[in-house]
Parts: sequence; structure tokens; C-alpha cells
Amino acid sequence: MSLLTTNPTATDLVAARAINLTKIYGRGDTEVRALDGIDVEFHQGQFTAIMGPSGSGKSTLMHCLAGLDRITSGSIVIGGTDLTALNERRLTLLRRDRIGFVFQAFNLVPTLTALENITLPMDLAGTKPDPAWLDTVIDTVGLRDRMTHRPSELSGGQQQRVAVARALAGRPELIFADEPTGNLDSTTGAEILSFMRRAVREMEQTIIMVTHDPVAASYADRVVFLVDGTIVDDLVDPTADSVLDAMKRLGN
Amino acid sequence: MFRLTLRNLLHKKIRFAFTTGIVVIGVTFVVGVFALTDSIRSSFDDLASDIESGIDLTVRVPLQIGDELDRVRVPQEVADRVAAVPGVARVDGRIVARNTSVIDDNGEPIAPRGPPTLGSSWFPTQFFVVDGRPPDGPDEFAINSKAATAHDLVVGNTYDISGPNEQRSFRLVGIYNFGDPDKDKSLAASAVAFDTATAQEFLNGGEGFNEVSVAIEPGADRATVQQAVADVVGSEYEVVDQSAKIEETQADFGQFISIFGNVLLAFALIGVFVSAFIINNVFQIVLGQRVRELGLLRAIGATGRQVSRSVIGEAALVGFLSTVIGLVAGLGLARLLRIMLKSGGFALPDGPIGLRPRTVVFAVVVGMGVTLVSSILPALRARRISPMAALSDTAKLAKGSLATRARIGGLMVSIGAVLLGLGLFGGFDTKPLLFFISVGAIMVFIGTTVLSPVSASQVARHIGWPLQKVFGVPGKLARENAARSPRRTSSTAGALMIGLALVSMAGVVGQSIKETFAGTIDNSVRADYFIQSASGGFDPNVGFSAEVVDRLAALPELDLIVGYRFGLDSIDVNGSTKNVFTTDFAAGVSHMDPDVLSGSIADADPLGSILLHKDPARDLQVTVGDTLVVGFPDGEVEALTVAAIYADSTIYDNYVIDNAMWDRHFNRSELMFATATISGYSDSLPDDEKTALLASSAAAIEKVTDSYPTVTVENRVQFRETQQARLDSFLIVISVFLGLALFIALVGISITLALSVFERTREIGLLRAVGLTRRQLRRSVRWEAAIVSVFGALLGVALGLIFGIAAAIAIPDTAIKSVAIPWRNLVIYVIVAAVAGLIAAILPARRAAKMNILEAIATE
Repeated sequence: MSLLTTNPTATDLVAARAINLTKIYGRGDTEVRALDGIDVEFHQGQFTAIMGPSGSGKSTLMHCLAGLDRITSGSIVIGGTDLTALNERRLTLLRRDRIGFVFQAFNLVPTLTALENITLPMDLAGTKPDPAWLDTVIDTVGLRDRMTHRPSELSGGQQQRVAVARALAGRPELIFADEPTGNLDSTTGAEILSFMRRAVREMEQTIIMVTHDPVAASYADRVVFLVDGTIVDDLVDPTADSVLDAMKRLGN
Repeated sequence: MFRLTLRNLLHKKIRFAFTTGIVVIGVTFVVGVFALTDSIRSSFDDLASDIESGIDLTVRVPLQIGDELDRVRVPQEVADRVAAVPGVARVDGRIVARNTSVIDDNGEPIAPRGPPTLGSSWFPTQFFVVDGRPPDGPDEFAINSKAATAHDLVVGNTYDISGPNEQRSFRLVGIYNFGDPDKDKSLAASAVAFDTATAQEFLNGGEGFNEVSVAIEPGADRATVQQAVADVVGSEYEVVDQSAKIEETQADFGQFISIFGNVLLAFALIGVFVSAFIINNVFQIVLGQRVRELGLLRAIGATGRQVSRSVIGEAALVGFLSTVIGLVAGLGLARLLRIMLKSGGFALPDGPIGLRPRTVVFAVVVGMGVTLVSSILPALRARRISPMAALSDTAKLAKGSLATRARIGGLMVSIGAVLLGLGLFGGFDTKPLLFFISVGAIMVFIGTTVLSPVSASQVARHIGWPLQKVFGVPGKLARENAARSPRRTSSTAGALMIGLALVSMAGVVGQSIKETFAGTIDNSVRADYFIQSASGGFDPNVGFSAEVVDRLAALPELDLIVGYRFGLDSIDVNGSTKNVFTTDFAAGVSHMDPDVLSGSIADADPLGSILLHKDPARDLQVTVGDTLVVGFPDGEVEALTVAAIYADSTIYDNYVIDNAMWDRHFNRSELMFATATISGYSDSLPDDEKTALLASSAAAIEKVTDSYPTVTVENRVQFRETQQARLDSFLIVISVFLGLALFIALVGISITLALSVFERTREIGLLRAVGLTRRQLRRSVRWEAAIVSVFGALLGVALGLIFGIAAAIAIPDTAIKSVAIPWRNLVIYVIVAAVAGLIAAILPARRAAKMNILEAIATE
């Protein structure tokens, strides 16, 4: 790694690390090795994209890193905590207090307003959000006048911005985004992606994003390529073209 | 998190309204029943005090067993001695009798249908004249104002009064309020009063008083006077004070209210039980629809406990709201029930209706309890929802294994069946028999509930098979949709199953009673005519004056006439209180043959014998010729010889004495019913002769009974019909009450379908897109409901049949000798259930048909 990242002060701090991570679905004839001995580190203050063709295991990797799914062997460390040593309850609390999520769709609870959705993780924890930080987040998403609206009254892009705001509101160590622009048109998608990049640059957040869209990946600081459950390439400061090139190489 | 719970409820208003509504129905009924019985109880308590107002002491003969009116009478001479006791201000000999009916201007007797028709002497402290004056003289009477108003009785007119002994004309001289100067508080259908001498002669056959009431002088010490009176009358009599009598009266009323209240409560609880099924079902379905949402909560950090707590919290809110609404609605229902029951012939007092703390506690237990218990399983399942559910397009709840269900359910049904079989055919005594049967029935019931999802798919496909043949694609859709989620189908059907099981069980028991009765009339009854009270039927407290029988006996057209009486809990045999039936030993057998096994009835000594059914004979280990010691209400004990043991107790009950023996020990002389045979009549005569004999005897009888409107005379065919009609109307009343359970079940089917349709929005959109018409879609939803209903109905009828047969076997021979099954009714139940299902599906079907195709397909 000779190239410097955009945020050199944070490079030595690892936000998440997978060691010899293996995830196997099924058994016997139907056995599928979704992840096959993955070793990877994600640095704090970085926007990392995980790419790969469908079935490559990129979503599985994210789910395992985030503690949503159990792993078969190896280990995952988030900010010094070994996830494999945690029980279901501690895992839940870790997700609640230290991790933020943005999904492709169905991100918001339909019965709660935008603001209530943003503060939901804190409500679940029974803590109060830091008002100054919440203000900053809401201003950054730019939906102040929409805060009392229900998800059904927001456009897809607005919903996704609320979802990002929710992920940011608790100041987590790490935010996972699973195809956050998958359901959006390209303009709205670009809006969300630049917003996520700003969150990393200006708010010193760490984001790991799964995507199959080279344009989306180009917003990241680094791209990790997965094929058949193993990491095959690792690109720093990508552009849409360099990502496409990498994908073409993999395709051959 | 609480906010989320609240929001969820408000967001789904219709679903919320429905679930709340179902619980409200249950709570309302429970509250209504409690509020009504409490109100009746407190009114009766007040009434008990009113009845005893102004009576400080009562002198009477102690009574161990039998009817209050069977007390040995107090002679005038004792009343005179009491009057001479220092401190006694006033002594009134009281005479009371039942079955004293005034015949109004239309020739109709004021007939009791529940409440009694009373006759009494004039009670100066309780009767308040509102018109005319108190009766004074052998041809005068007064009547309570309620009865006078209801039957347009006018002071100054003369009316026939049918008393316990005879019928006679009296002039109405006064109308009075009972218990209160301003309001007639009498609960009797009518209460006529005579002066003391007339009452004594007309009601008591000239003998003494039923009791003597004593008012003491102001300032005199009650205990002292009570002791002085007791000393004067001697140990043969008891002297009780006012508070003791009030308590007695309240206890009498209380017994009636408890029975009445418990019956109503049982129906209310059945309703609650049925609603529990539906609420549980709704919670499960709703949970299924919210899996992704709950998964999202889990992903962003809600603990399993928080998720399950929110599900329970939702249930708690529904329960709380339902309880509050149910409490208010219950008060309304109590009023409505009172109006209904009063118009149905129950004499109920109009008291204030209110909530007692116990009612509120019970309402909370029912309302909150049902919803909370129903939400426990869904909450536990919600807890296990994986955060991954948020990420999956086809998130489903984890299901328990059907195989485990089959094992557990199968085991329960088998054990239950074995217990039922043991109970029915094991030849046990009554107590273990009832234990085996009831525990077995409950096991079979629960086992069937557990088992029904296992077979739901299979059975639903079978039921739906003809639909597919007839309706093509919509039929096939209905069939497959009913079969696709066996748990939902079976729990929806479960609510219907309970109602139908109860109705069918009542049907089997009722039919068995009817056929037993018909069999008795056909096989054992040889009498040609049946004489009974025009209103009473076989109510032991309703009778008619024996005078009618004497008049009929004098007719040359009639051969023999036999009177029968019945005393509830009126004799003591070996230390336990038994019912007693009376007949004329010499003539009775030729009218009603109880199938004598040993001994002979006709030759039995009327004043020294008793007849026994084989069951008590076995229990007491006596045979013909043995002696039984029998105690009577007058305190006498006689050693009676067992003259015969018989097998048929449908009419004779278990213990029979002769009318002469009754007259020796009982005060009441009215008959419960009588039978007569036609002179020269025989079944072997040619038909035209039989017809002629029937016609001539009927005409002769009519001549007599025309002037006795309190009795009806029926020939064998008519008697059989009226008795069966009476049983039928009783069964209808039960069915109406159980209709509540069926109604709740149908609401449940409607809700479940609506939710299922909502769940299948995308699929329905797709079907419509490829060409299913609105009409076909509606049809498929409706027939799905019909399949589910028929499934529930079949299960219910099958269970009802098993339970009904078990009950019929367990019920003593007196009522049921052989089991009869009302097949036609059972088939009708299933058809009604199918039709009701179709009706319940109308709204959900319409909703499904209204969906916009494009929006439906785009739905997540």
C-alpha cells in the first residue's frame, strides 16, 4: 500500500477486520462456500466499496462483518471487539450502538415520521441524541422541512437520505450500506453517494458499501473486488473507468 | 419503542378496530351478565327486607326437608297464646299458597310462566291499598296492582279464582301495592289476598296458618319477647327474628340468581373463548406481514426482547381499550338483557345497574387476559425474527413442525378417546364415570385443535374439489388458497368449530331426550288423556286444583283417572334428600307402566309401601320386601316396604309413594298432572269405534274443562306433540345463545380473509393482469371462506357428535335411555356454516376486486 489515502491520520486505525473468514451455506451436495477464507481490513475514516458479480459473496461478506449473519469459521473484529465471541444479545447491542445501516430498500419503519426514524436506534437504546449533532446531520441531509412526514410521503431519494441520516445520527464507528442506490435513478443515486462521501470527508465517518455499480464504486476511497468468495483485487482512489477496467480483467 | 407500538395501532385503524371489537364483544357479555345479576341481587335483597317489614318475630314449625309450604301448620290456639305474651303488640296468622289464579274477563287465567300465582291472607304490614279496601268476608278478594293493571281487573267485578283445592267466584274489592306504598314490588305473576278466615278455608282447607307473624310493642326488648314467645309455644315451634328471616329469603333468591347468572356467564365465557382463537389468529397474520419491518428493527439494534415487548404492548393496548369500552357497553347490555328476559316471562326487579369492583376486575382479567395470552406465542416468534429478514424479499416466520404437532395432537386424542371409552363402557360409578368422560372430552377437544392444522390442507382440498369442477379457475384458486396455510385455515375454522361443537352436542342430547320421551309415551303410557296446568307443564311448583279431577272422574265416558304429584327434595332416604313422585298404586300401572322388574305395584299397600327405580335399589342394596326408612317434611319418619322395583324412570323418577301417603305428610294438595282412560276403549277396537269413543269422551271432558281454564286436556297424540315442542323451543333458546359464538367466529373469518387478501395483493394483481375477472376473483375469495367454514363445521359437528353421545350416555336414564342423533339438523348446521362463510367473505371479496392491477403488482 504505497499510496496515501485522503485521510492519512486515520489509516493506522482499523475499523473492521476479517481473518480467514469462511461462510458455508447448506451441507453435502448442496454446500455453497459463499466466503472462502477472506482476510481483509477496513480503515477508519475511509469510504470502502465491495464489488463483485452477483453470487460473488459481497453481500454475505457485509452481513457477516455487520454481525447480521453468523460465520462458519474465522473471525471478525470490529473496533477491537471479536464478533465471534459475542452472544446474540451483545451482538444486537453492538449493532445498535456502534454500527449504522443503509439498505437497498425497506429502510424505514412506515409508521414513524422521518425524524422518528432517524432517532429510532437511540430510542431503542433509551438514550437521547446529541442535539447539535442531530441538527448537523439533518442539515446535511437537507430535509429539515420533511422531518414530520411519513416514509410514504417521501420520494425514494428522500427516503434513502433519511436512512443515511439515521445511520449517521448515532455517530457509529462504522456504517454499512447495502446497494444504497440500487432502487434509485442515476441522478438521485449520485446525490446520495456524494452525500455519503461528504459524511466520510467532513464528518470523519467510516462507510463500507456493497455495490455492483462501477459509478457508485467510484465515489469510494477504495474498492475491494470479490469473486467466488475470495478477494481478487483491491483498488485505491478508484474512478469509474478504473473500476470498469478492473471488472473487465476479472471477467476474463 | 412504546411510540412505535402506538403508531402501529393507529396506522392500521381497521385492523385495530376489528381486533378491539372482538375483545369488546367478549368483555361486554361478561360485564353485562355480572352487572345484571348484581343488580337483581341487590334488588332482591331490598325486596327481602320489604317483605319482612313490620314483622319482628315469626312463629312456625321447623322444616328439615321439602317445600316451604309443606311446613306443618300452626293452629289458631298457638297464635292466641302468643298474642297473650307481654310485649306482643299484634299477631297475624299468615296463609300462603301457590297456584291460585284469577280468571280474567276473557276467560283466561293469569298464568304463571316462571313467576308464581300466589294466594294469601291479608298482610296489613306489607299490603298498601291503592284502590278500594282490604277484603273482608267469604266472597271478597284483593289483588296486587301490577296484576290488576296487566289484566284489566276492575274493583267491584266478580271473578273466578282457581285455588289449590277448588275453583270459586269472588268479588274484587281492593287493589294494593306490595312492599311499598308507592310501587308494587311483587314479583309474582299475580298475588290475590283474602281475609284470614277465607284464606284459611279456601287455600289451606281450613287448617291453621303457614306461620304466625308477631309485631312487638314499641320499646319492648326483642330478645326478651322472643324468649317469652318461645317459652309459651314450646319446643315444637321455632321463633325466628326479622333479620334471620330476611337472610333466609335472601338466600332463597340468591340460589335462583346464582343458577341464572352462571348459565349466562357460561355463554359469555364461550364467547370469550372463541374470540381468543380469532385474536390469536389475527396477531399471527399481522406478525407475518410485519416480519420485514421487525427484521429492520432487529438490524438497527432492537433486541429480541424489545421486539416481543412491542408485540405484547400492542396486545395490551388492544386489551385495555376493549376492557374500557366493554365495561361501558356491558352496562347497556345488562339493561337490554333485562328487557329481553322480562319480556320472556322472567320476573326481574328494576334496580339500578352499576359496576362493582369485582366486575371491573373480571372485565380486566378477560379483556387484558385474552389479548395478552393470545399474543404470547406471536411475541415469542417475533423474538426469533432474524435481522436478515429485513434484507430478504420473501421473509417468512419460522414455523413449528407439523410432524411434532401430529404426534402431540394424536397422542392427546388417543388418550382422550381411551378415557372416554373407559368412562362410557367401563361400568364405573357415577363420579369416576363423569371424571373419565369430562377429562377425556377435554383431551379430545384440545388434541383436535392441535391436530387440525395437520389435516387442514388435505381436508380443504377435498372439500374444495367439487368447486374446482364446477367453477374452474376461481374454484381451484379458492381450493388452493384454503389449503396453502393450514395453520391459518385451521385456527380460523377453530372458532367456528367450538360454536358448532356446542350446538351439535346440545342437538344430540336434545334429540335423545325427545326420543326417550316419545318412546316412553309410545311404550309405557296407556292412558288416553293427559290433564295438566294450562301453563306449567312439568314444573314441580305449578299445579292445578284436584277438584277438576274429581269432576272428570264422575264422567261416565271416562274409566279411571289418576292424579300425580311431584315433590322436589322432599323426602329423606338414608340421610340424603330425594325427589318423590306420587301416583295411585291400584290404578297407576294401568295408565303408566314403569316396566316393573320385581314385585307388584297394584297389590302394594298405599300406606306402607314405596316403589324404587333399579338404580337407587342397587345403590341402597335393597330388594322387594326390604324396608326403607323414609323421612317427610312434617318431621314424621316411616318404615316403608319396597313393593316393586322398576326399570323406566322417565316419568316415575326414582322414588314413588301413593297419593294417600302424600296426603298424610304434605300440605300441598294441587296435582302436577293427571291421566285418564276412556271407558270401553282398547287399541284392538275397530278404527271407527275408536274414533267415536274419542270424540264422545273429548266432548264430555270439554264440558267440564271449559269452566276450568287453568287446565288443559290433551289426548296421547296432542300430549306427545306439545311435550316435544316444549323441548324444541328449549333447544332453540340454547342455539340462540350459542349463536353469539358463531357470530364471533364469522367476524373472525371475515377479518382473516381480509388480511389474507391484503397479504396476497401482488399475487392478486398478477392474476388480474393475466385475465382473471373481478367477478371470478370475488368468487374465489367467497368460496375460500366457504371451504374454511365447512372445514370448521365438519370438525365441530364431529366433536359435537362425540361429546353429545358421551353426554347422552352419562345422563341418567330418567332423561335419556337411548342415544338419538339429529342427522338432518347436523347437515343443516354444515350448510348454514358454508352460507355464513360466503356472507362473511362478501366484504373482503369486494375489497380484493377493487384493487388497482398496476398498484397491486408494484406492491412490495
